[in-house]
Amino acid sequence: MAIDVNRGAQSPVGPSAFSKPGAREARILSMGGGKGGVGKTFMTANLALALARMGLRVVAVDADLEGANLHTCLGVRTPRNSLADFVAQREDDLVKLLVPTHHPNLQIIAGTHANLAEAQPGHLRRVSLMRALRKLPADIVLLDLGAGSHAAVLDYFLVADDGLLVVQPEPTSVENAYTFLRAAFYRRLRLAMVGHDVRSLVSQAMDQRNERGIRTPFDLLREIELIDPLEGRRFAETMRRFRPRIIINEVRTAEDVKLGFAISSVCRKYFGIEVDYLGYVNFDEAARQSVAARTPIIESREGSDAAIYLQRIAKKLAGASNGGEPVMDTVDAST
Amino acid sequence: MNGDGVDIGDRPLTQDLKALPDQDHYEVLEIGRNADSEEIERAYALTRAAYSSEGLAVYSVYDEQDTSAIRDRVEEAFRVLSNADTRRAYDEKVAEPEGPISAGVQTPPSPLTNPREETLLEAGLLDVESIGNPESDIEEESGDFDGAKLRRARLRRGFELEQIADITKIGAAHLRRIEDEEFADLPANVYVRGFVTAYATTIGLEPERVVAGYMARVEAARAQPRSRFRYRS
Ligand SMILES: Nc1ncnc2c1ncn2[C@@H]1O[C@H](COP(=O)(O)OP(=O)(O)O)[C@@H](O)[C@H]1O
Ligand SMILES: [Mg+2]
Repeated sequence: MAIDVNRGAQSPVGPSAFSKPGAREARILSMGGGKGGVGKTFMTANLALALARMGLRVVAVDADLEGANLHTCLGVRTPRNSLADFVAQREDDLVKLLVPTHHPNLQIIAGTHANLAEAQPGHLRRVSLMRALRKLPADIVLLDLGAGSHAAVLDYFLVADDGLLVVQPEPTSVENAYTFLRAAFYRRLRLAMVGHDVRSLVSQAMDQRNERGIRTPFDLLREIELIDPLEGRRFAETMRRFRPRIIINEVRTAEDVKLGFAISSVCRKYFGIEVDYLGYVNFDEAARQSVAARTPIIESREGSDAAIYLQRIAKKLAGASNGGEPVMDTVDAST
Repeated sequence: MNGDGVDIGDRPLTQDLKALPDQDHYEVLEIGRNADSEEIERAYALTRAAYSSEGLAVYSVYDEQDTSAIRDRVEEAFRVLSNADTRRAYDEKVAEPEGPISAGVQTPPSPLTNPREETLLEAGLLDVESIGNPESDIEEESGDFDGAKLRRARLRRGFELEQIADITKIGAAHLRRIEDEEFADLPANVYVRGFVTAYATTIGLEPERVVAGYMARVEAARAQPRSRFRYRS
């Protein structure tokens, strides 16, 4: 495929991939999922390469400082510099941390050599990181997130234009995905609320066994409306704009494929949020082998089923975002 | 790979999220009002499977009593919608009052987001949105308008859909569909053009900047007989 190096106003995948306001800011995609081992890094590496092959300038960032291995999946030898230098304030310029891969249009920022005692950046550092990520010379920045629901991980998910959730068709993975979504969602909601009473109500609701019997965001909405109708509308609007997307990985049966619909239905009916089912990738021995060979499967086994499904997801991603709005949609360019 | 043949592409998204008791039959099945019988059957099969008592997606969220209540709603929705006569009767009964939502609640045109920056900073996220900040309009100078961009422009100017509905006398449901690009549920192109023009004018955008690009999207989507997947950029 032709690689368009001086990408101008036109792009090989149509204008929607660049429809972000601010035009030249990078679109941020985050790969989360709550659980380790579900394929976030595998997915990040392959989708990053697939998007780069479409002619988009891509930077894949390893934000999993406690388990950095994205570089390995992309066949890059352990880089000396990494995001850890930014976190520890040894380096303020993310561009200096970019490491080339042997693929055109694809660079990475590794997550290696972190100080594990202090792997997560503090609030302020996180904010400057988000800003810097948007300013990277790229069309798309793909963040590979760590496991768990640490505040930093949630924020990486929330600031993204598209928060992607990788889920395996297994009870533990599904359960963790809900836990993650719930945590991210309530964090977002708390930020959106103005009044002290309402904020503390949201905090109470975050505890699933709260005394007021608030089980779902719908219950919470009802309570908030009693306190302050305007906050209620703010809440509803925030619900409406929180639109993560899911990918089911290691699918083996048609039932597994349908899990994506089921999760998105539960999200709608229970959590009141719209979750787009982005696609699925089948379980493929070749996937495991590709990781062992440190080569993305879409390169080493281009015709494999997994490679085809991954490319399908990449195409959807390049086409459009889900219409949700990131938390920092309009970062002031002057600061 | 056994997943083949399961098309995940063209399931319409519902527009307003409501708690189950407030959902109508279409919302329960998560289909649009114009769904044909094939779509209804497909949605029914998927939803039924999702809320089966063994469902992988439900067990950690719902207890058996909940899922059984949902299954009842699903069955009832399918029973009504799968038969042309009962469906017509149902549609007539719930025919939505399309008019603008009553101006009863007079809220000031206040942005829907939290303006208190220090709290956000405290929480680790600065600049959550500079809605209402005229400077951010610059972002809209280039590129065509799609539904999401219209919504952002509206929110940035502190308008709520209901206010636009009040001013333009266009139903809020239609305005929302314009933002959500639910073209299938919108009337003919000439009307949509009128709606978008009125919308843009109301929030202070020059219609010339908005309408052509948006209508191109509508026409492109409608040119395809059955779009495989609905872009929601
Ligand atoms: N679709 C797949 N089929 C088979 N094995 C897979 C697939 N996706 C991932 N794997 C295997 O799972 C391992 C863990 O994936 P990884 O991306 O490191 O998970 P995470 O980043 O979520 O912790 C990979 O090393 C790979 O061997
Ligand atoms: Mg990983």
